[in-house]
Amino acid sequence: MFSDALRESVDLSLFWDYREVMLSGLAFNFHVFAASATAAIALGLGAALLRVAQALPFRVLGTLHVETFRNAPDYIMLVWVHFVLPLLLGAALGTRIEFHPFASAVIALGLVYSGYYAETFRAGIQSIPRGHLEAGRACGMSERQILWRIVMPQVVRRMLPEGLNQLVSLFKATTIVSLITVPDLMYRVSMVTATEMKPLPLYTGAALLYFAVVFAAASLVRLASERWRRRILA
Amino acid sequence: MGNWERLVWNQREVLLEGFLVTLHVCALAFAAAILGGLALCLLRMHVRPLRPLATLLIEFFRATPIFVQLMWVNYVWPELFGWPNSFFTAGWVALALQSSGYLAETFRAGIEAVPRGQREAGEAVGMGPALVMARIVLPQVALTTAPAIVNQFTVIVKSSTLVSVITVQDLMFQSQKLVNVWYEPIEILTATAAIYIAFVFAVSACGKRLSDALRRRFGIGSG
Amino acid sequence: MDDMPAIRASGIRKRFGELEVLRGVSFDVRRGSVVSMIGASGSGKSTLLRCINRLEAPTEGEVYIDGVPMGFVEDRGGRRRARSLAEINRLRRDLGMVFQQFNLWPHMTALGNVIEAPMRVRGLPRAEAVALGEAALEQVRLAEKRDAYPAHLSGGQQQRVAIARALAMQPKAMLFDEATSSLDPELTEEVLAVMRDLAQRGTTMIVVTHEMRFAREVSDEVMFLHDGVIEESGPPGQVFGAPRSERCRQFLSKFIGQAR
Repeated sequence: MFSDALRESVDLSLFWDYREVMLSGLAFNFHVFAASATAAIALGLGAALLRVAQALPFRVLGTLHVETFRNAPDYIMLVWVHFVLPLLLGAALGTRIEFHPFASAVIALGLVYSGYYAETFRAGIQSIPRGHLEAGRACGMSERQILWRIVMPQVVRRMLPEGLNQLVSLFKATTIVSLITVPDLMYRVSMVTATEMKPLPLYTGAALLYFAVVFAAASLVRLASERWRRRILA
Repeated sequence: MGNWERLVWNQREVLLEGFLVTLHVCALAFAAAILGGLALCLLRMHVRPLRPLATLLIEFFRATPIFVQLMWVNYVWPELFGWPNSFFTAGWVALALQSSGYLAETFRAGIEAVPRGQREAGEAVGMGPALVMARIVLPQVALTTAPAIVNQFTVIVKSSTLVSVITVQDLMFQSQKLVNVWYEPIEILTATAAIYIAFVFAVSACGKRLSDALRRRFGIGSG
Repeated sequence: MDDMPAIRASGIRKRFGELEVLRGVSFDVRRGSVVSMIGASGSGKSTLLRCINRLEAPTEGEVYIDGVPMGFVEDRGGRRRARSLAEINRLRRDLGMVFQQFNLWPHMTALGNVIEAPMRVRGLPRAEAVALGEAALEQVRLAEKRDAYPAHLSGGQQQRVAIARALAMQPKAMLFDEATSSLDPELTEEVLAVMRDLAQRGTTMIVVTHEMRFAREVSDEVMFLHDGVIEESGPPGQVFGAPRSERCRQFLSKFIGQAR
C-alpha cells in the first residue's frame, strides 16, 4: 500500500495532464504578486517617511500603520479586506460596494507587506549618518533634494537584500488568495482534486512547483545580495 | 454598539475557546519546531553523511509556502505515511515543518557566531567536544537566538490562522462560523483581527524586551 | 625527579599549508621559573604557546609536562601511539591558559566561569569548587565581583577573572598569550600586578608579551623568537643588556625607554 502511494505521488502525470490549467493558475500568483508588491513598497515608503517625520501626529500615524499591518496574519487581513472593507466603504459612501477577489487580494497583501517594508525603509533611513544630511544642507540642497539625491540611494542599497527577501515571502503569501476564490494554482489544484479525487499527485505537484519557483528566486536573491554586499563594502 | 455586544461580547466564550485551540496548535508547533530545527541544524553541521538530506529538508521547508505545506501534509501524508490521522495533528505538524527549517538556519548562524576563542578557552581547561557544546556553545546560542526564536513564534501564530481551512476549530474558524450564522461580518471579523494583532504585538514586544535584557545583562545579541 | 623540567619542548615545528611558522624550537622551563617570550608579531611565539597545550597540534616535535609526552603514549613494548583527544584534554588541565581576548564565557558570572571546569572537568562537588573559585578570585583581588557577568566588568577585570579561571584548575604551569595586549594602558598594570604576584609565589609561567619592563623584571629567562626559531635566549640581564643577535638588538631598540 505504501509503495503504491509512493509511486502515485512520484508519478506526477496527472498533474502534467493539467499543466495548462496549473500554469495559468501560477500566472495568477504572479499577477497578484506584482500588483501587491508595488502597493506594499509604495505604502511602506510612505509609512516609513511618516515614522521619521518631525511632527508627532505623523509619527503616531506611521507607527499605527506599521504595528497594525506587520502584526496582522495575512489570512485574517485577506478575509477582512474582502468581506468587511467593502461594507465600511459602502456605508461611508452610501452605496453598495463589492470587491473583486483579485482586488481584495492585492489590497490585503499590499497592506500587510507595507508594514514590513516600512520597517525596512525606516532602518535604512535611520542608518544614514546625520553628517550626510548636514553636508547636503551645507551645499545648499533643499530637503527634497537631500531626500532623493542623498538619502534614498543609500537606503535602497542598504535595504536591498532584506527587501528582496520580503518579495520572496510575499510571493509565498500569494498562495492563500485561493481562499477568497482568486483562481491561482492552489485554487486550480483544489478544483481538479474535487473532480479527480486524487489529491496525492496534485498537491505534491503543486508543492514541488512552488518549491522550484521559490527556491530559484531565493537562490537568486542570495547570490545578488552577496554580490551587492561585496560591491558596496569593497 | 449593540452589534458589538450581540456579535462579539456575547460570543466571547466561543471566541475564547477558539483562541485556546490557537494557543494549543501554536505551542505544539513551536516546541516541535525548536526540537526539529535543532536536530536539522546539528545533522547538517556535524553528521556528514546526512548533510545533503538535512540541507534538502531545510531548503524544502523554507521555500514551500505554508499554505501549500499545510494542504500537502493534510492530503498527501495520510496516504503516503498513514499519518497524521487528524486535522489537528496535520495542522500543527505543517506549522512545525516550516518553522523548523527557519530555526535550523537561525541556530546555525548562532553556532557560527560563537567566537573561536570561547571554545578554545573550554578546551584549554580540559573540556571535551561534548562538554564544550553543551556548556559553552549551546547556552550562548540559546541566548543570542532567543529573540529570533520568539519572533518565529509570532510567525507560527500568524500562519496558524490557516489551520481553520482544514477545519481545526481555532479562533479564525470560530469567527468565520459566527459570520456564517449571523451574516454580519463587520464586528466579528474586526474583533478577530484585533485579537490576533494584539496578541502578535504583545509577543513581539516581549521578544524585544527580552533581547534588550539579554544585551544589558550579558552584552550579547544584536539590536 | 627534581631536575626534570616542568615543561620541555623538543624540536617543535608547525606548518600551516605552505607556511612554516615554527621551524624547530626546543627549550626547558624549570619548575617555579618564569620564561618570557618576546619577538615581533608573526615571529611564531603565540603559535608556540598554542602548540604547548595543543590548541594547535605541532607538525613535528613533542611537548613534555613533567616528563610526560602530550602527543603520544608508549606501551610496554616501546611502541608509540597518538593520544586520543580525551587523553590530551586530561593533560591540558595541568596547563592554565590566559588568552589575549580573555574569552570569558559571557553567559556565566565571574564565579561561574571560574568553577565551571573544576566542577565539570574535575568533577568536584559544587561547594568545593566554589571554595576553590573564591580563593582564586581572591588571589586576583576580585572577590567582590563574583556575581558579576563579564559584560559588566572592565577589560582588566575580565582578564583577572580569566587568570582566576585558569588558577582554579590548580595547574602545574600557567601560559599567558599576550595577556595585556588588548587592554588600555591604564588597565594593563592591574593585570601585570597579578602576574607579578603569581611569579613571586613560585608559579611556573610562560609569558608571551610585549611588556619589556615586565619581562625584564620578572623573568628568570627571556627568549627572543624570530621567524620561527629561538634567535636568542638567556637571563633578562643578558638579553636586554647585551644581546648577541643583531635582530634582537634591532627589535629591542624599538622599546627604548620601556625596558632599559
